[in-house]
Amino acid sequence: MNPTSPIVAGATLGAFASLVRAADNPGVQALLAKIKNPDDHVRGPAWQGAGTFGAPAVVPLGEAMTDPDFEIARAARRAIEVIVRHAGRPGAESERRAVAAELVKLLDHQALPVRRHALWMLSEIGDDEAVPAIARLLGDAGTREDARCALERIPGPRATEALKAAFAVSPEDFKYALAHTLRLRGEQVAGYPSRKLVPTKKTTLTE
Amino acid sequence: MLAHETTSFVLSVAYAMHHRRLPRRTFLQQSGATLLGLGTLTLPQVISTRVLGATYSSPSAKDRLNIGMIGVGGMGNGHLGYMLARQSRGDLNVVAVCDVDDNRLAGAVKSTGGKATPYRDYRYLLERKDVDAVVISTPDHWHAVQTVHACESGKHVYVEKPACGTIEEGKAMIRAARENKRCVQVGSQGRSQREAFYAHQYIANGMLGKVHTVKCWHYATPSDDHPVPDSEPPKELDWDLWLGPLPWRPYNARYLHGVFRWLLESGGGQIRDRGAHVMSNALHFMGADDTGPVTIETKGRVPTRGLWDSAIEMEVTYQFKNPDWTLIWAQPGEMVPYPDRDRVKNEGIREGYGAVYYGDKDKLVVWVGDGQVYTEKKALEYQPPANGVQVPKSPRFDHHEDWFEGIKTGRKTIMNIEAGVATANLCVLGNLSLILRRKLNWDPVKREIVGDEAARRLMSRPQRYPYVL
Repeated sequence: MNPTSPIVAGATLGAFASLVRAADNPGVQALLAKIKNPDDHVRGPAWQGAGTFGAPAVVPLGEAMTDPDFEIARAARRAIEVIVRHAGRPGAESERRAVAAELVKLLDHQALPVRRHALWMLSEIGDDEAVPAIARLLGDAGTREDARCALERIPGPRATEALKAAFAVSPEDFKYALAHTLRLRGEQVAGYPSRKLVPTKKTTLTE
Repeated sequence: MLAHETTSFVLSVAYAMHHRRLPRRTFLQQSGATLLGLGTLTLPQVISTRVLGATYSSPSAKDRLNIGMIGVGGMGNGHLGYMLARQSRGDLNVVAVCDVDDNRLAGAVKSTGGKATPYRDYRYLLERKDVDAVVISTPDHWHAVQTVHACESGKHVYVEKPACGTIEEGKAMIRAARENKRCVQVGSQGRSQREAFYAHQYIANGMLGKVHTVKCWHYATPSDDHPVPDSEPPKELDWDLWLGPLPWRPYNARYLHGVFRWLLESGGGQIRDRGAHVMSNALHFMGADDTGPVTIETKGRVPTRGLWDSAIEMEVTYQFKNPDWTLIWAQPGEMVPYPDRDRVKNEGIREGYGAVYYGDKDKLVVWVGDGQVYTEKKALEYQPPANGVQVPKSPRFDHHEDWFEGIKTGRKTIMNIEAGVATANLCVLGNLSLILRRKLNWDPVKREIVGDEAARRLMSRPQRYPYVL
């Protein structure tokens, strides 16, 4: 694989290694070829049947999410969802961990929609292992809200500790959202009362 | 339309409204969007109060409910038409209207004769101490948040169906209604229908024997066959506020209006749009509002392209225990034509959905299950014995009226929040089983998925701040 190819433009080192491995995986390559097929009768069944391709397909599909054809990007996004939900089934622990580890690699992707989607997918199957990488995105204005939501869903004290640490250093306006999640997780937070009933959007119509 | 045609049309809708013979959506579209479009002050002037008739009638000025309308497009516009008709007979006041689309908001203000205050942000409306109750007709992803906020602000709530988008949202809605002692009616108005009452009475009095299976049928969910790229939102729309609790994403014209139903996040397909009617009746007739299935298994076919991701076709099997019975949502399933073809033609009966109730002695067909419900002659003619089972009946078979009575008396409404959530949970679980592609086990007492950690996480959906429960 040519590392300067546009297909790997957004990849970090970890993701790049995944892409190299995927290049040697005929099954994943066949899946990607179908995902990128302009005919939705080929593309549709491909993403719907992606579940068993598992971890090796995650990073290449993340790349495909940046395809300029929005229907191809959407098919790649949905293929990742199918993989995640298949890996999350009871009794598939090692598969789930492998998929989650690949999703973590997408958290450094340069494309915001890819990072966001990886966060939401990790909210479904991520665990303590994913928490540090997710927590880093709490400091990124483009992803902090999705990262907060992802940590809200991931059980365990490590996610709580990450939220607490972020709360200590976050900008004032984001502390309200973090306080909300911490309270949901049973934590006491001083100040920063809920803003859910505070109206903010002025009406432009006159009576 | 000529003037005399207008008058005749309005009166025919008023008659149909009184007798509840128009399909729900048809009625609301005609009574709301079309009628109001004829001239905003025409409706109260043309429909006589005698024709409209109601039991929540002519309260003293100080006792009149002040109503706020949250969401005034589609169904919301229909509700607005109803409320304005009631306002015209002195039953209530529509004091506020709210929408994130300025065009719709302007239309609603106009239809109130300029008397209602417009709001883009529903939280300004909730701040008003003089608003007693709200009607929430927003896309599904807003139902729970706005219902909870309204209850916490001391308002009674009529919320469009389906009640909740996730299991945890449903629990929060129940908690908010109970803790704040608010009357919440969910808009599965089929329960209030005259023929629904007779079907319920027939089944509850054992005329079918032990009912073991309820098979629902409904036509397919549409697919987005002409997808469009993301774009800038139209200037009249507050896209951020439309999304509300959902994760932020760029605007796409396929999200709204109306078509939000075909996306899992903001709607959920026919199983939620119409399942919330047909399966509402099934739980009601089976006396199962306080129970739930123990397993849920879905097969289905989802779109291969486009933004809409709800299943085009699906079959969900819900197994209930103690008593044992099976509920099947089949899309399309096996449609049963209504036998009286003249009635179909004359009353505009839509046969696209309904359910067959199979007992060990007999079976009963209940058509539509939406705003309009039809059943078989044998149920309509049935006279229960004096000591027979009494089933609930909405005053004048009017769902809104049942809500007003609930507010006035404090009694449970026919589609109270617990019942609304029980129904919505069926829809939620059917879709979850579909996207997870596996059978789910459900604890109907604790109302939670068991034995599947990833599925359990999907019982809730973290919400974008500050649009949170």
